[in-house]
Amino acid sequence: MGIRLFEEPELRKPDMILGWPGIGNIGIIAADTLRGQVQAREFGEIESWDFFYPKGLKVKAGLLEELEFPGNKFYYQRLKGKDLIFFIGEEQPTAPGRTYAEGEKAYQMANLVLDVAGRFGCQRVYTSGAAVALTHHTLKPRVWTVASREGLIEEMKGYSNTVLMSEIEGRGNQGSISGLNGLLPGLAKKRGFDAICLMGEIPDYLSQSPLPYPRAAKAVVEVLAGILGIGVDFTPFDTMAAQIDTVIDSLYEKFPPEIKERIEQRKSAIQAKVETITEEDETWIKEHIDEFFKKKSGNE
Amino acid sequence: MKELVKFSWQPELKSPSLVVGWSVDAGKLGEKVTGYLNQKLTHHSFAEIEPAEFFPLGGVAIENDLLQFPESRFYSRPGGDLIIFRSPPPGYEWYKFLDLILDTAQHYCHGKELYTIGSIISPGAHTTPRELIGVFNSPELKEAFSRYDLDRELNYETPPGHRPTLNSFLLWAARRRNIPGVSLWVPIPFYLVTVDDARAQRRVLEFFNQRFDLRIDLSDLDEEARLQNEKISRLRGSSPEIDRYITRLESNLRLSEEENEKLVLGIEECLQGNQQT
Repeated sequence: MGIRLFEEPELRKPDMILGWPGIGNIGIIAADTLRGQVQAREFGEIESWDFFYPKGLKVKAGLLEELEFPGNKFYYQRLKGKDLIFFIGEEQPTAPGRTYAEGEKAYQMANLVLDVAGRFGCQRVYTSGAAVALTHHTLKPRVWTVASREGLIEEMKGYSNTVLMSEIEGRGNQGSISGLNGLLPGLAKKRGFDAICLMGEIPDYLSQSPLPYPRAAKAVVEVLAGILGIGVDFTPFDTMAAQIDTVIDSLYEKFPPEIKERIEQRKSAIQAKVETITEEDETWIKEHIDEFFKKKSGNE
Repeated sequence: MKELVKFSWQPELKSPSLVVGWSVDAGKLGEKVTGYLNQKLTHHSFAEIEPAEFFPLGGVAIENDLLQFPESRFYSRPGGDLIIFRSPPPGYEWYKFLDLILDTAQHYCHGKELYTIGSIISPGAHTTPRELIGVFNSPELKEAFSRYDLDRELNYETPPGHRPTLNSFLLWAARRRNIPGVSLWVPIPFYLVTVDDARAQRRVLEFFNQRFDLRIDLSDLDEEARLQNEKISRLRGSSPEIDRYITRLESNLRLSEEENEKLVLGIEECLQGNQQT
């Protein structure tokens, strides 16, 4: 188990941007699309076999040619204002019986990633993921932010379309981020890196669906592009969002009328900026949506 | 490593080959073949892998009213040429588990070659001959096997949504340690998957007989296969529907999903009581 670097690029105090799959695949879509946009170049990987079951086999003329594992790759790019390292993990190493990465394997993976960050002089790491929110799928998702130290909060307040996690109604300054998108910035803090986690909003009623949510990924990248001062072509996000919107619309049409009514009321409340979404509303929708998806998967 | 593998005795083996069979396999081929070898070669368990790190131990599984507990054991006999490893597939820490198998075979018993046994579900009829397919992790071993009757030219890619087998993972792990190995595959007719396929077992054992000069008398398997064929023939005689399905499979035609299910149920009912454990 270890890190394999194919190249030792010379980088000037790079930032590291990380992405793993999770709810709506928001983090990985954001990081990987941005990586493609800046044409970052692969320079290393974390050996995967100790963390994951293989995902593909190739046999040619009776010989085992290749066993493919979920990728855990590092990329870099030198930009005018800032050098960047990307880390894209195709799967999160889950502990037995768990959905999200936790425990020894997740800790080992996070440490290996940060070893590379340290080796190339990174001072700041960004992760991103999903913020399950009482919002509506036709509204622009906001980005929730958390940081590793007080000094970064003022900076984050200046980001557009963002909200500090503590400002979210009903959370009482408390919260948690599941999986590596949360564990890594936590460990980064412990190891002395600056860390910021950007979480794109996904409506609560879509958070259990297997659909990607590119609208939130786009919102995350908009924030990142602003921080890093880089130009991004958002067409890939819009194209993907248009495709997914069609699926969401048809799914939404099948929701029972009483659920749709509550969700539409919520949309009006958000648009009117009236604080009428209660905890009771949230619980009611959650219970009924869970039931809807259970019935749906039972019928399929 | 020593804490994870518990030895009950230390076999003195010269340069044995390692044969691996998993208990979850169509037709239980791996389990049946390794069990048969252990019985005929009077092997005894000499070591086992502790299960706690690799299997969910939150309770216990029950199969046919019997409690099942994951047992991952190595078998051999003093001076033997083979080490047999039998186990259910681990639930997690796969690479560590496979590494333990190879460690034990390589360092403690001087294992030289790896053989894994697995089955493939075939859409064909039971009357077609059982094929033996070899997937190798070394060109040299592939070449050395040219004198055996097995298909050595398979081309394959994991289809989308599927994952490779544990045998393939083990074969790959062996290559990393320069242990030459072959995964042996036998296609088993889909309607024999939940019952025994003595002909498939025989096909693998025949190969081992040749490869290791074991001289095991396989006539009991021939008899088992003959009895099974007789039972199926009688069923075909009494059920025109089952006969039609099998005849179509014999002509390389496919059945609908519903017909498949009917055939599987018919064969299972017919062969009940013909099982050997």
